[in-house]
Amino acid sequence: MAKVLMKGNEAVAEAAVRGGCRFFAGYPITPQSEIPEYLSGRLPEVGGVFVQGESEVASINMVYGAAVAGVRAMTGSSGPGISLKAEGISYLSGALLPAVIVNVSRGGPGLGSIQPAQQDYLQATKALGHGGFRLIVEAPHTVQEAVDLVYDSFELAERDRNPVFILMDGCLGAVMEEVELPPMKELPERPDWALGNFEKGEHEPRIITSIPGEDVLEMLNKRAAMLQQSWAVNDVRWEEYRLDDAEYVCVAYGTSARVCKYAINELRKEGIKVGLIRPITLYPFPNKVFHDLDYSRVKAIIDVEMAIPCQMVEDIAAQVMERAPILQYGHSGGNTINNEDTTAAIKALIGGLNK
Amino acid sequence: MKNAIIFSGTGGQGVMSMGIMLAQSAVESGRHAIYMPSYGPEQRGGSAKCTVIIDKDEIVSPMAGYGGVLVAMNNMAYDKFIGELEPGGVLVYDSTLVTVPIERDDITKIGIPADALALEVGSSKVANVIVIGALIALTGLVTPEEFQRSLDKKFASKSDAVRAMNAEALKRGIAAASK
Repeated sequence: MAKVLMKGNEAVAEAAVRGGCRFFAGYPITPQSEIPEYLSGRLPEVGGVFVQGESEVASINMVYGAAVAGVRAMTGSSGPGISLKAEGISYLSGALLPAVIVNVSRGGPGLGSIQPAQQDYLQATKALGHGGFRLIVEAPHTVQEAVDLVYDSFELAERDRNPVFILMDGCLGAVMEEVELPPMKELPERPDWALGNFEKGEHEPRIITSIPGEDVLEMLNKRAAMLQQSWAVNDVRWEEYRLDDAEYVCVAYGTSARVCKYAINELRKEGIKVGLIRPITLYPFPNKVFHDLDYSRVKAIIDVEMAIPCQMVEDIAAQVMERAPILQYGHSGGNTINNEDTTAAIKALIGGLNK
Repeated sequence: MKNAIIFSGTGGQGVMSMGIMLAQSAVESGRHAIYMPSYGPEQRGGSAKCTVIIDKDEIVSPMAGYGGVLVAMNNMAYDKFIGELEPGGVLVYDSTLVTVPIERDDITKIGIPADALALEVGSSKVANVIVIGALIALTGLVTPEEFQRSLDKKFASKSDAVRAMNAEALKRGIAAASK
């Protein structure tokens, strides 16, 4: 299929439709507003439903409603809006409901700034709401990868009966680049656990709730723990870029990883052996690749993010275990990182080590 | 980045359209292109900027901090973004609207009276196409034929008059660059 030039947010919205999304509820917020804008026209064309909720809280609860009925449902927002949806996301996970949630992140904390940033890593990977639940968190770095991940995210959510979280950044939402769109997926039958299977002769009342009673709750938390263990083995994904002989290892996700690739290619021309580990799943975090690095060769780890301070540092440190220093380079608040300055900054950090 | 072109001006001048049109044309002509808008709370009248990277190879990162070419559509854009033009780079500016002295001497400066030419063609709205005409004539990023083809596609649903005006604007821009 031919490649088309498409904006990240719109490509993600189209990928969701092709992946089976038939319900979206959301509330506008920069820099993700093109997702609902696009879907407001697109979903009705495929028999789906788009609702601009009166608020983020209402929107996430509409997603809950659609998910209960077995419909592939999605919402999108950016930092402050995701915080407002926190309760609903916890309820979705608590009630074993699949859904896809996209955060096109911006500057924070607070209302922050509308410009791109990566200030929501900790929120996404540690606590998207109360109660100690976790979601698979995927962080694409190109529009194509965003399309591919979103396209398959609904099946992932249905497999686990747990929401899937896509963490993008404002750059990836706004950039236009070439993308190949996948074909339209056939919709699966309504799952057995969902409400509304009247045509299958089901008329018994059924309760889907996130307040199941003490004994069941503990059982469900054990189920979640097992699920997380299986994610760490089966679903963890990362990319290694020029890592084989790297003495300095950058760690970055999303747009920052692309900037690092640029910097690595430039610094390699000068004979500086730099490589990259790019987590694709932020949760589960790719622990093994950090654990297994050859620390007789690796002189430093350099965390690069559009966040101050960088937020992956603790996850990296837990695996590096003081076998190499962990440095960081970040910009935030809407001051995005760029290719040339990042190249110079990484070079300066390495120079500082070798003084 | 040498292969990055920064377009700058004021909201309403068609600055973002310039970037999208050029990127679109490059992709339709078999090259790789990335378009990165810089957005803020501004609307009409505020600062507008976007960056396009064009390459024969796949583009690793869209985040060019500096460009090999800067297009400045007025004084405000010139003042704000001249620092993002690399030494040895090319400044293409609308000489009707950029009236401040251009002080950098480490760059090539090409003034095109785009706004004045656009009014001759019929509307100041096509000043952006005039500048693109000059830009592609100077750089060879895409050929005039390739760009015209993309322009026809973009304005397929518009009137013949609109298409003719844009085609004329493109020609005028190309001609202005060869002067």
